[in-house]
Amino acid sequence: MATTLASSVETSRRPGGRGWLTILIFLPPALLLFTIFVAMPMGEAAWYSFYNWNGYGRPENFIGLKNYASLIGNHAFTQALLNNFLIIAVSLAIQLPLALGVALIVSKKIRGAVAFRMIFFLPYILADVAAGLIWRFVYDGDYGLVSGMTSLIGAQPVFLLADKNWAFSAVLVVIVWKYFGFHMMLYVAGLQSLDKALLEAAEIDGANAVQRFRHITLPLLGPMIRLSIFFSVVGALQLFDMIVPLTGGGPFDTTNTMVSYLYFFGITRMRVGFGSAVGVVLFLFCVTFALGYRRFFMRDD
Amino acid sequence: MIFRKLALASLGAALGATVAFADTTIRVLHVNDNTAAVDLWNKIARDFEAQNKGVKVDIQYLENEAFKAKLPTLLQSEERPSIIYSWGGGVMRAQAKAGFLDDITAEAAPWANTLSATAAKAFQVDGKTVGIPFETGEVGFFYNKKLMDKAGVKAEDIKSWDDFLAAVKKIKAAGITPLVVGAGEKWPIHFYYSYLVMRIGGASALADAAAGKNGGFKGAPFVEAGVRLRELAALEPFQAGYIGTTHTQAEGMFGDGKGAMELMGEWLLDSQASNAADGKGQPIDNIGLLSFPLVPGGKGVATDILGGINGWLVTKNAPKEATAFLKFFSQDKYQRQVAAKGYYIPVVSGTETAIQNPVVKQIANQLAASTYHQNFFDQDLGPSVGRVVNDISAAVAAGEMKPEAAAAAIQDAWDQQ
Amino acid sequence: MTRWFSQRPRGGLASLAQFAVLVIIAGIVLVPLVATVLGGFKELGDLRANPFGLPKVWVWRNYWDILSGVRYWQMLGNSLVIALLTVFLTLALSSMAAFTFAHLHFFGERFLLSYMLLGLLFPAATAILPLFIKIRDLGLLNSHWGIVLPQTAFALGMGILLLRNAFKQLPGELLDSALMDGCGYFRYFFYITLPLSTPILATVAVIAFVSSWNNYLLPLVVLNSENRYPWTLGLMAYQGEYSTAWQLVLAFITLTILPAIVMFVMAQKYIVAGLTAGAVKG
Repeated sequence: MATTLASSVETSRRPGGRGWLTILIFLPPALLLFTIFVAMPMGEAAWYSFYNWNGYGRPENFIGLKNYASLIGNHAFTQALLNNFLIIAVSLAIQLPLALGVALIVSKKIRGAVAFRMIFFLPYILADVAAGLIWRFVYDGDYGLVSGMTSLIGAQPVFLLADKNWAFSAVLVVIVWKYFGFHMMLYVAGLQSLDKALLEAAEIDGANAVQRFRHITLPLLGPMIRLSIFFSVVGALQLFDMIVPLTGGGPFDTTNTMVSYLYFFGITRMRVGFGSAVGVVLFLFCVTFALGYRRFFMRDD
Repeated sequence: MIFRKLALASLGAALGATVAFADTTIRVLHVNDNTAAVDLWNKIARDFEAQNKGVKVDIQYLENEAFKAKLPTLLQSEERPSIIYSWGGGVMRAQAKAGFLDDITAEAAPWANTLSATAAKAFQVDGKTVGIPFETGEVGFFYNKKLMDKAGVKAEDIKSWDDFLAAVKKIKAAGITPLVVGAGEKWPIHFYYSYLVMRIGGASALADAAAGKNGGFKGAPFVEAGVRLRELAALEPFQAGYIGTTHTQAEGMFGDGKGAMELMGEWLLDSQASNAADGKGQPIDNIGLLSFPLVPGGKGVATDILGGINGWLVTKNAPKEATAFLKFFSQDKYQRQVAAKGYYIPVVSGTETAIQNPVVKQIANQLAASTYHQNFFDQDLGPSVGRVVNDISAAVAAGEMKPEAAAAAIQDAWDQQ
Repeated sequence: MTRWFSQRPRGGLASLAQFAVLVIIAGIVLVPLVATVLGGFKELGDLRANPFGLPKVWVWRNYWDILSGVRYWQMLGNSLVIALLTVFLTLALSSMAAFTFAHLHFFGERFLLSYMLLGLLFPAATAILPLFIKIRDLGLLNSHWGIVLPQTAFALGMGILLLRNAFKQLPGELLDSALMDGCGYFRYFFYITLPLSTPILATVAVIAFVSSWNNYLLPLVVLNSENRYPWTLGLMAYQGEYSTAWQLVLAFITLTILPAIVMFVMAQKYIVAGLTAGAVKG
């Protein structure tokens, strides 16, 4: 995204007659579709968010900032927001090191490295809904694997997804399970493009494995780590598909994310104005992050 | 070239251009998972088609939770079904107000008197008929006779809330799960809250609160109902993990004999069998029905009944034949079959005499003798407030929310809508 | 020589430990998947007593009933139609737009490009309610176009970004000489740009296909009739109907994720390259 907009002018040229024709035929379809389905809805979300509207007829009941005000201090929404940050925290503190560690191992000439890479990447290609349902089974207190394990040691069956203290941790496990393989692949790609000679030179100079990792591998992997962070945050902000089959946001709205909150409280109750306000808040988070990321992380790329 | 045209044409069809199989198609959307009853509905549809050339009746099923989540968006579509399943109440009134329902007063008037008057009235909005009821029912404690015996509890002796709590303790002490409930979907546990409100505040407690009387939803009945529900839940009477259980799972547990009682509507008689692990569930002679106990000092009486009156709504721009189909559907000969087979309790007057099933008969008799029939709270209060009542019922039971805060939350939602 | 050199410090023990770590993680990754596949072969009672092991009796009927019904094939067909249309439209629209942005200079070019790239900043979910209203007002509710068009619109940003960068890297002399020879932009686009850019077009196609195939929120909001459901919605509907029969749900999950796994195994190189390259270059 942060690529240069104005570089390589040499291949661009002033359009002559034929050039204008090309522009007039090539550009409008994309422009039109984008305007109708991306730009306008976002603008309309801002507009609707000032109304109390159930979607029938036109929005008429203007209520100013009331929709936003009712979000502040709203228990379920605050929880959803907090959950989004928890996902980000776990992605950075657990998933990222795990993915990096595994990537370091599987990019060596170790037996079955390619097979391992594929196995770790496998959950990533499953749809979130399918992954969510599979884990709903794993966590099921009556039929699932977790209860199967506890009963092996003679303990009571556990209902993780029905326990408000554990349900979200259980969701976090699924997220790491599904996504660490993708981040691992990013690092593998990064490691492959590393200059091996540099590492070998360091080794000859007597640097040990830890020193080589800290002073050579890690800095050179910088761009990939930043990318991995970017995808963790963006993925966390839009997480929804997995929540529905796993917990439906319950118990007691402890496992909602912002998007699932938007769905359960905005769409299924057809509170268009209120839901739009949630959308706008989410939009602000996304844009702030994306622009901030560009400014602070991508400066030197 | 021809091939390409063909490909485009089939693509168009696949993309959902409506293909006309018949001149008129009546699409009926319902949530009934009793397959035997739906088989009969399909037979009625075929009979109707045979008598009305060029009309096709397409009966479609959507799972309960999906149906409720989908309905708000579904009605906005140009391709909305002609006839939809409904629990009446505030949800229906909101749909009528939004202009999604047809006024069928004139078409229904000639034969409306064949239906029970209470039921017919439940499908009117501002005096206009917008739907046709077909079923009435009751929510009560269905119990497993053998398990109650095993625990040494006599269901007939449970009259008051204290009797009930004592029974729960006794059953639990016998190592049996006293109550199964599908609180994961919340509405099953809102039956407890609803009945408690009715028993404490009297039959019309809900209507009074909606009218702003007695402190509205923040009034004493709503707070005390929460206190009582928590009092019950504190005994840990429900199956492990009840907060995540779905209603079908809970019904299956009752069918499997894993719990002594379940507070549920009459459909449990069928669904406990279809959701049981062996597909058979409890035999009917092992199932008893207990009315919700009385709360000491409360205004309610045992004959105030919570239950559904379910019916069909005709949607805006539905084909004219839709109402004709509902008339055809409501014929005595079909509804008598429904009664005889015990699928549900039909609202066509006189058909109740055909009921064979002893428990269904008991329900029909209680309904006939009822002093008040209260619709499900979550349906009566409309889509957004109804969901709040469901949410707080689960939260209060689990001790997640104080009864006062729960009552205030209902009032807030009511004020906001 | 270098090979021997770089392997020398890795002791047998350390390498064994690393291998063991990989095996354990692979186990954690695979156990839920294997249990799902096996669970589909069990009776409900068997599943309860023995969630991990092999089925006592292999019940092929669970799978066979699904495979011999219409429902499963219809869902996959719907998903395929939606995904292919999305891929086609995304490739067509974004390559045309990217071509203009890459080779033609005009007033407002930068502004328009930045405008189109705005879509990269936020997911469709943020505007899902107004999007629903828009799709409704256009009469596209309950139709596949109601999914394909918004999906394409949201995929355009990524497509244009990736393709524009790739088109610019094609040697400029090619275009100069082509224009000199009287070859117009159109012919240049169709006969030179597109054929020379197949790898990046494939990347864009893979990304668009996978995200369409797995999309859940948009179809959930747009579609009502079950015969138009893609597999993601169909799976949830099936689970709702058979929530007490886990063995059937597990068989259904297995069969619905099967196409993705088969595609992945057959074309893993391209898929991994496509998804990670898309991420890296985006």
